[in-house]
Amino acid sequence: MNAIVRRQPLITFDDVWKTYGKGEAQVHALAGINLTIGQGEFVAIMGPSGSGKSTAMNIVGCLDTPTSGRYGFLDVDAGRLDRSSRATLRNRYIGFVFQGYNLLPRTTAVENVELPLIYRGVASRERRELAMNALADVGLKGRETHTPAELSGGQQQRVAIARAIVTRPTLLVADEPTGNLDTARSHEIMDLLTRLNAELGLTIVMVTHEQDIADYASRTLRFVDGRVASDTMGLETA
Amino acid sequence: MLWETIRLALLSVWRNALRSFLTLLGIVIGVAAVIAMITIGSGTTEKVRGDISKLGSNLLVVQAARPDRSGSTSFTPKQLDGRDVEALSKGLTTAKAVAPAAQKTVRVVYGAQNISAQVTGTENDYFTARDWNVSEGRIFSESEARGGTNVCLIGATVRGQFFGTGDPLGQSIRVSRSSCRVIGVLESKGTSGFGQAQDNVVMMPLSGFQRRIAGNRDIGAIYIAAAEGIATSDVQTEIETILRETRRIAPGADDNFDIRDMTQIADAMASATTTMTGMLGAVAGVSLLVGGIGIMNIMLVSVTERTREIGIRLAIGAHERHILVQFLVEATVLSLLGGLIGIALGLSLAGLATSALSIPFAPSLSIILLAVGFSALIGMVFGFFPALRGARLDPIDALRHE
Repeated sequence: MNAIVRRQPLITFDDVWKTYGKGEAQVHALAGINLTIGQGEFVAIMGPSGSGKSTAMNIVGCLDTPTSGRYGFLDVDAGRLDRSSRATLRNRYIGFVFQGYNLLPRTTAVENVELPLIYRGVASRERRELAMNALADVGLKGRETHTPAELSGGQQQRVAIARAIVTRPTLLVADEPTGNLDTARSHEIMDLLTRLNAELGLTIVMVTHEQDIADYASRTLRFVDGRVASDTMGLETA
Repeated sequence: MLWETIRLALLSVWRNALRSFLTLLGIVIGVAAVIAMITIGSGTTEKVRGDISKLGSNLLVVQAARPDRSGSTSFTPKQLDGRDVEALSKGLTTAKAVAPAAQKTVRVVYGAQNISAQVTGTENDYFTARDWNVSEGRIFSESEARGGTNVCLIGATVRGQFFGTGDPLGQSIRVSRSSCRVIGVLESKGTSGFGQAQDNVVMMPLSGFQRRIAGNRDIGAIYIAAAEGIATSDVQTEIETILRETRRIAPGADDNFDIRDMTQIADAMASATTTMTGMLGAVAGVSLLVGGIGIMNIMLVSVTERTREIGIRLAIGAHERHILVQFLVEATVLSLLGGLIGIALGLSLAGLATSALSIPFAPSLSIILLAVGFSALIGMVFGFFPALRGARLDPIDALRHE
């Protein structure tokens, strides 16, 4: 990476605190985070257990809200939004990929991918078409009617990625997306995410434990004790 | 969206077929019990009405008042006699038939066979008053009625006992110590609402009966049919006025006769069965409530079991109301399904029972619709709490749920 590209900020943390418990038992999961992530960035978050990276992820994904400070997403003070508005925000702008795939059991791949579109109120024919396209994008053409039990772990994670991108989100939040996969499968998934980042300009925020997975990202944040201990740019190999 | 939700709910019911079936059982039994009870009940009511109307529609029966068991009376006892009959037939403007009748149960013999039958001495108006038609032969001629000729009509049972399929007309049968010639056979009326066999009868002219069978001139009862379009209560008032005059009852003294209005009795009996039906239906309704609690139970299990699924749905943008509707629809579909099976089961049970008891099968559409509506309501009411619990889950906790 030769030049630092000025990007539109997508995510801003402004002295964000997240505190659990009260009085003596108080724990600061996040202790004053300041952070900006621009549109189209691919960010890896690393850090030991209890460092606050999951809490940060939940806030980034609008699943959780800060105790104090401002969390801005797309110029919106997302940390102050109510449950229902955050649900809308997630549905419109955010896709999720989890470590355990989190597909609906006994439900076909294409039906799983259609799910976010149902909540968006897309008509069934269009829904089917979009879902089929998304499955083709992740290389699962021909597996549309398989249920999760009939798919390998790597394939299930591809279905989950298809479900995350079918709504054409701005942000993809990935929580240890390769945690359950072997090395070969992990690299396939990471290649897919890298391609989506490059081709669609999809912003990706990913939590991982493994350095070689984090290396796919263009920026790495290390969390320690609820703070960002380091913020490294340009470690990507691609 | 709603259609989609219903489809998904059906799918979920189908995927957990055994559990769904067990859940449904409560609703099925409840609805089946209500439907069966009410269908059988209204069949019984219909049967009671039908039986009583066989006695004659708009029929009033006048009898001499009897002293009560202690023997004390507030009136002067007096039998009904020819004068009362005459006054009524001449004076009543609201009646279409007035028939005196006297009855006695005696031995009736034909050839080598003898049976015990109820013999009635009466006039032709009796057949009008009681809506009783002659299936073979004829009724009394005017001269036979007046002169008390020894002719008679027999009921279907007597005819069957004595003549089988043979021709009874013109044959002589022995009634008590005198004989009479059969001139007609009465249509079968079956058993009355009071459990009396009505076809084991012999009818003869009143004066002949009094002379040869009874040996006195007493009249047991006067049967009066109201004219078309006249309320029986109006006829009753008129009868009362006429009889008080003929029987010389002082103003203020009690009647020494009773007037029974068969329409009223029919109504009373029908309303008694209706009340009974309602009570049984209410008891059955309690089992529906129990069924509803079963639904709630299983929905709570279902919500807990599918916490992770709820988490996924919430994460990818489902609103609380989506989850709420999903589980509500599922509960409603479940209980509605139970309702439909219950209706089928209830109707078949009622069908079997009514044919076994030989009462009319009278399913009521409104009750069926009510049952469907009620079971859907139960699903919604008892599904609401579990559904709300699911909808209120925190997506982060729900996703972490194993």
